[in-house]
Amino acid sequence: MTEQLLQQVVNGLLIGFMYALIAIGLTLIWGVMNIVNFAHGDFLMVGMFASFWLYTLYGLDPIFSIPVCTALLFVMGVLIYRFVVSKVMSGPMLAQLVVTFGVSIFISNLAVYLWTPDFRLISQPLLSGTWVIGEVQLSIPKTVASMGSVITSLFVFLFLKKTKTGKAILATEMDREAALLMGINTERINSFSFGMGAALVGIAGAFLSTYYYIYPQVGGVFGTIAFCVVALGGFGSIEGAFIAGILVGLVQTLGGFFFDPAYKYAIVFMIYLITVWIRPQGLLGW
Amino acid sequence: MQKLTLKQICSGLIALIAVGIFPLLTTNTFAQHVMILFFMFGMMGVAWNIMGGYAGMFSFGQVAFFGIGAYTSSYLLITYQVTPWVGLIVGGLVAALVGAAIGYPCSNLRGHYFAIASIAFGEIVRTHFNNWKLIGAAEGLSLPMLNEGFKNFMFHSSKLPYYYIMLAFLIISLLVCYLISTSKVGYYLRAIKESHDVAKVLGINVVRYRLIAIMTSAFLTAMAGTFYAQYVLYIDPESVMLLPISIQIVLISMLGGAGSVMGPVVGAAILLPISEVTRVWLGHKGTGVDMLIYGFLITLISVYQPKGVWGLFANMGKRAK
Amino acid sequence: MQTKKVFAICFSLLLLLVLATASLAQPKVIKIGAVYPLTGNIASTGLDCKRGAELAVDIINGKYDLNLPLAKVEGLPNLGGAKIELIFADTKGDPKNGMSETERLISQEKVVAIIGAYQSAVTKTASQETERLKVPYVCSDSSSPTLTERGFQYFFRVSPHDGIFARDQFQFLKDLEKKTGQKVSTIALLYENTEFGSNVGKSATQYAKEFGYKVVADVSYPANATDVTSEVGTLIKAKPDVLMHASYITDAILFTKTFKEMNFAPKGIMTFAGYIEPAYLPAVKSDGNYIIIRSTFALDLAKGKPLVARVNDLFKKKYGLDMSENAARSFAAPFVLADAINRAKSIKSDDIVKALLQTNIPGDQMIYPWKGIQFDPKTHQNIYARGTLVQVLDEKYATVWPFDAAAKEVVWPFPGWKGRK
Repeated sequence: MTEQLLQQVVNGLLIGFMYALIAIGLTLIWGVMNIVNFAHGDFLMVGMFASFWLYTLYGLDPIFSIPVCTALLFVMGVLIYRFVVSKVMSGPMLAQLVVTFGVSIFISNLAVYLWTPDFRLISQPLLSGTWVIGEVQLSIPKTVASMGSVITSLFVFLFLKKTKTGKAILATEMDREAALLMGINTERINSFSFGMGAALVGIAGAFLSTYYYIYPQVGGVFGTIAFCVVALGGFGSIEGAFIAGILVGLVQTLGGFFFDPAYKYAIVFMIYLITVWIRPQGLLGW
Repeated sequence: MQKLTLKQICSGLIALIAVGIFPLLTTNTFAQHVMILFFMFGMMGVAWNIMGGYAGMFSFGQVAFFGIGAYTSSYLLITYQVTPWVGLIVGGLVAALVGAAIGYPCSNLRGHYFAIASIAFGEIVRTHFNNWKLIGAAEGLSLPMLNEGFKNFMFHSSKLPYYYIMLAFLIISLLVCYLISTSKVGYYLRAIKESHDVAKVLGINVVRYRLIAIMTSAFLTAMAGTFYAQYVLYIDPESVMLLPISIQIVLISMLGGAGSVMGPVVGAAILLPISEVTRVWLGHKGTGVDMLIYGFLITLISVYQPKGVWGLFANMGKRAK
Repeated sequence: MQTKKVFAICFSLLLLLVLATASLAQPKVIKIGAVYPLTGNIASTGLDCKRGAELAVDIINGKYDLNLPLAKVEGLPNLGGAKIELIFADTKGDPKNGMSETERLISQEKVVAIIGAYQSAVTKTASQETERLKVPYVCSDSSSPTLTERGFQYFFRVSPHDGIFARDQFQFLKDLEKKTGQKVSTIALLYENTEFGSNVGKSATQYAKEFGYKVVADVSYPANATDVTSEVGTLIKAKPDVLMHASYITDAILFTKTFKEMNFAPKGIMTFAGYIEPAYLPAVKSDGNYIIIRSTFALDLAKGKPLVARVNDLFKKKYGLDMSENAARSFAAPFVLADAINRAKSIKSDDIVKALLQTNIPGDQMIYPWKGIQFDPKTHQNIYARGTLVQVLDEKYATVWPFDAAAKEVVWPFPGWKGRK
């Protein structure tokens, strides 16, 4: 009994780190621009497909294609911001929500159109197999993905705190008008942050593609969970998103194991509800 | 919102007459079906609007009320042979109660937190229904094919009764929305939307009015659910409790113009025909082009007409002066 | 300017509606409606079914030297050589679209019968519509047992249902014991939690009791889960001899990977549906080996029935792929309908239904391992429909049961995950 417990905790952490990475990009975009990017799950999907095609067409293993995916998604994010999202920034909040919906539907169906709805899998990535430590089986791709998530999150954290652009982003997050008055080009910060949010989820996509199946609608489930994670952690808080991601991973896995796998997502949502009833701004939100 | 002008009442009546005689002019049952869906989603959009557009509670979990309405009336019909009309009311009441039960603890949630909570709510309800053996769990409920007639709320030889019933429901919901928006309740709701804190300071019982909005919205949405069950004669959690339905309801209201009575109707009038027609035209090729167009249009409309399409109509009336 | 915008919108809306509902001028052919999920999550399966149905119609309409009904003549001879035309509609996997598309096909496109819809929930509403409108519906690709338990007059099913498939799997275990002496006593049930999976779960529970096996785990899960380690953990804890898994393709892939990752290796992994989808083996490659799946079709049936190989050749020529199990199932319905319409010499619903009830297509005129096609007069289920079991060997599907029709010997028990190629 206990050996399964440890295994399940480990697995919960592994999926949790992945959720955390996906959520960080989302919370960054929200924090800076006050936009909930409904297309976030689809950005993940694009990252996964990018990794898949680099592997299939050029034989580039997903681990090495991470820089390419990051750059690709960053550019995509910036372009989407410039040509679509920026136009509704001055409009009502509802319009902003709808725009990202439209982008989401457009991107996922563009994927269907270009790549068909078939399911793909990267069948022989460099990192595959399992490490066995005691009685616990550690999936190598998942473990590497988790490590990647931790490293990336640390990088983001340091970037925001230490670099000039990073500090400008934080300033814009905290008080937009004041940032403007201080001479920060908030438009550029917006577009950079959107790109960065997309790039982060692109990295997540590259990692995810090493062990999960890839298809145009894959963004759906991950996207919904990502929103829950971000809200649980507190919109705008990077640390909150990270912690909440891990928490959700653990709740999902342990809840599914000890209670009923059919209810595992319901349990996650219940935890979210209970948390915000007690603390309406999420764990670390402001 | 101001009281209606004579001009608006007239154009409303004209539209009503047009819609009323439409099914008599064409035997194309597909067109009738699209109109029925338009009415149904229009109604759910209006119901959403009461919560979202007026009170600022952006709910992405409306589908739970839809499903509760559908399941309640269907279960009562199948197990106890209760007529669907009674089932309709019971379903609405159950949905309203559930709405209040979930709305109460969520009453001090703002904006996006509320939205995510509503998604959570919808998903929890769906998961529960998917595993609840009493009401069929994942297998769903098949409604028996009773003799057609008003009493059984079931018609087989023609869609027209369905058409008019749904239209009537839509009109009822519009009336409810109008009454709310021009009454004290509506005034308070708008104040709450602007700022919870200011509203509280003004002495408005924020919780009470939020609950009223939620319960009304839930009741109306549940009515649409019962209608759906009687129309399609088969319901399961995958078809009456799925998140995309909630999202479609929100899209319709936002595109049409939240915060105005007719907004969601206009939104439904645009989105429903587009999604149905593009699917029929292009869906069978399997390339997803229909949804591409749909997504593109949504993006376009929200960029160039962010206040909602209804804004165009409203302005048209003003400009004409 | 505002007014112009408004009129533009109104006009385009009207135009859209009118264009959509304009009926196209059609030459005189016999139209059959086909409703499938051609877009959406399950689109790749829907397109697969489309291929099977289209090939069937090609063969009926053309002249082919094959021992299939109406293959050797062009079109339907009793109706002056009239050809069949399939009109496809996309359901997107949504039951309400099943209803509306079926109705649209019947009232606007004037089809005389319906085939489809793969997903049992959609078939339910589509067939309710055909029952309402009194139009024949021949289904050869939906497997929920409940479809033929409704007492419908116009609905017919050619293929086996999940109750039959579940019973097959237990029969196999009994046959295996008789043949090799290898005994099995505990079963774990794993199924995705929509209508399909839970029906399999129900049937399996019932047959387990009948055949005398103990169910030690009953696990249901959401089909597109992001992670299934908790489910597999529960299975490992239960230590079953055999796992029976009903899934779609996405969960089949995820579970295969997770089984390997967590080293879950019961004596046998016996599955339904998802593992036989054409995208499964290309995705998991050798990890799929030794898994057993229920099937109504396998390419190696050609060993005993050369017709299978010739039909597959035609399929490959037309689509560049081998015929999959889905395509093979959807292949049946057009033949059954064409045969009935031909015998009825009429396209009137009740005449077709009467002819369907008298259907008696011998087994050698079909590509399935059945004695033939004959419908039970009450339930309208094909009484000869049955499944086989295939096992993935060398990344290919090989028929292993019934033993007297097997192309290869079954590998049992499951050799585990370590130390394989």
